Amino acid sequence: MLTIGLMHYLVLSAAIFCCGIFVMITKRNAIGILIGVELVLNSVNVNFIAFDRYSQQPGFDGQITALFVIVLAAAEAAVAVAICMNLYKNINTIDVDRGDALHG
Amino acid sequence: MTLTEMLMPVAPELTLLIGVCAVFLLGVSKRPAVRSAIAPLTLVILLGSLVATAMCSDLDASGLVGLAFDELTGYVRWITLAMGVLLLLVNWRVPTDGEQGEYFGLMLCSIAGVLLTASANDLVVLFFAIELVSVPTYVMVALSRTDQRASEAALKYFFLGALSAAVMVYGFSFLYGLAGTTTMMASGGDSLQATFAEVGAINAFAVVGLLLAMAGLSFKVAVVPFHAYAPDVYEGAASPLTGLLGFLPKLAGFVALIRLLTVCHWALPDSLMWMMWIMAVATMIFGNVLALLQTNVKRILAYSSISHSGYMMIGLLVGPVLGEGPMHDGVAAVLFYIVIYGLMNLGAFAVLSGLNVRGEAAETLDDLAGLSRRAPMMAIAMAVCAFSLMGFPPTAGFLGKVYIFSSAFSLSDAHPFHGPLVTLAVIGVINSAIGAVYYLRIAGYCFLREPGDGLKRVGGVMPGLGLAVCSLAMIVLFIRPTDLVNRAKSATASVGSSVVTRVAVAGAETPPSDTRPQ
Repeated sequence: MLTIGLMHYLVLSAAIFCCGIFVMITKRNAIGILIGVELVLNSVNVNFIAFDRYSQQPGFDGQITALFVIVLAAAEAAVAVAICMNLYKNINTIDVDRGDALHG
Repeated sequence: MTLTEMLMPVAPELTLLIGVCAVFLLGVSKRPAVRSAIAPLTLVILLGSLVATAMCSDLDASGLVGLAFDELTGYVRWITLAMGVLLLLVNWRVPTDGEQGEYFGLMLCSIAGVLLTASANDLVVLFFAIELVSVPTYVMVALSRTDQRASEAALKYFFLGALSAAVMVYGFSFLYGLAGTTTMMASGGDSLQATFAEVGAINAFAVVGLLLAMAGLSFKVAVVPFHAYAPDVYEGAASPLTGLLGFLPKLAGFVALIRLLTVCHWALPDSLMWMMWIMAVATMIFGNVLALLQTNVKRILAYSSISHSGYMMIGLLVGPVLGEGPMHDGVAAVLFYIVIYGLMNLGAFAVLSGLNVRGEAAETLDDLAGLSRRAPMMAIAMAVCAFSLMGFPPTAGFLGKVYIFSSAFSLSDAHPFHGPLVTLAVIGVINSAIGAVYYLRIAGYCFLREPGDGLKRVGGVMPGLGLAVCSLAMIVLFIRPTDLVNRAKSATASVGSSVVTRVAVAGAETPPSDTRPQ
């Protein structure tokens, strides 16, 4: 009988983390990239909560941290959408490949 | 303990955050007179925060969870707020009418974030403080100009910044898993520092956590391979804002790195030491060589900011050495250098923002041609900043570099990384010489070229005042660096000593070192 332990959660969060990075690299739509960032932040939450659950220490540091990270993700999404709107006003698209004013 | 007593230690931050609310509220006013009062009000708030810093000398953090105050906090507060005043002066006319509230409010948020980074004693607080520094800067990039380049730069900066923050907090989650608590340091009870003393930094969670956290922070300080955003963002943002982007996130990043290294007793595993060593070398070489190839002054300064991060990495790797002069202490050298760097970088960008070529902001080397004929004072200021960035006496940049490099050269032979660190400092000296080429080119265009047409001095009293202070400070700090150096030196007293703890850590796993042949 397989018992689910800490390592399973860590592997899950690592998988979500990699998916998030992959989405960020492959998506060309700015909102798509934002979804990638959200995935990475959620992998962080899984990690914090799993560590909290299997921790020997008293206290709920991990769960509280996860709540804070969720709040931060929401705030960041608001900023991201505002910046996307700004770009859309300028070049009428949020396809990041179409932005080529900066010769990097 | 009353509420007032409890909140007294964070009075500077509270002053700033209350000020942010006031500035945001006034920003939506329909009356132009109110809106034009916002910049002076921001100045008053910054000065008020400085007064609060001077007044709250008794820093008892027992009533506050997740914060701790030491000499480093005090030092960072002073330099951030003083630089904040200069940043405000140079940015005085950047926002378009109607956006002053947002722009200056976000600037205050960012400054408050640096102050909180310096007093964070909890991984969550540290993470949030760094985000408070960065997130406002993404928006400010978009606000600083109305053209396409600014919004593209903002988008690029946001996504790479958000990714680096997420990677950093992913690393923090492993550090939490290791220690079971998010408290960084505590005199008794559970803390990350105590856990590191127990298990050492060779635990798998510790290595992964530190690696990811450092990768995230490397983005904030623009170290290779996390530097790619800097040239584009610097080019896209308005010049005065670029001076801010080169200082506040970098300072927050270095302070956070110093805190993290203090937590692990300045005894990184060898693999991480070598990784940082390679990153420092790559940062110096990449930054300098790519800067040689640029013709846009903002991009030159962006690559130069990358190479300066490389120099500061040397001091960080040397670590703090207690009880000796400032010439030996790597962290004190970093803390001194970052102030100098912020001033000279801001000065160079302030010159650019004070010039217009045919109605456009000056950006390329050709735009600067013959500046000495059209605006001699600006040309002199640019030359002072360029010589300081180069590290040439009689400017403070020279002293900054001397302190950084001498900290590595004066390491004792017993230091496990003595050889590689001395090599690193030699590479740093060679790179300073390469850097001289492009800084001299900037100064040469200002003084030796025939002026082009349409070069005009713009801006006003306030940006000019900021520029004058920046360039005068370069000379003054060269003549009299003692006060700042001593403050930087005493700031490192609270972050421990690399030599002492290295011996202690080594002694825990091997017999006492005096019995072994040296």
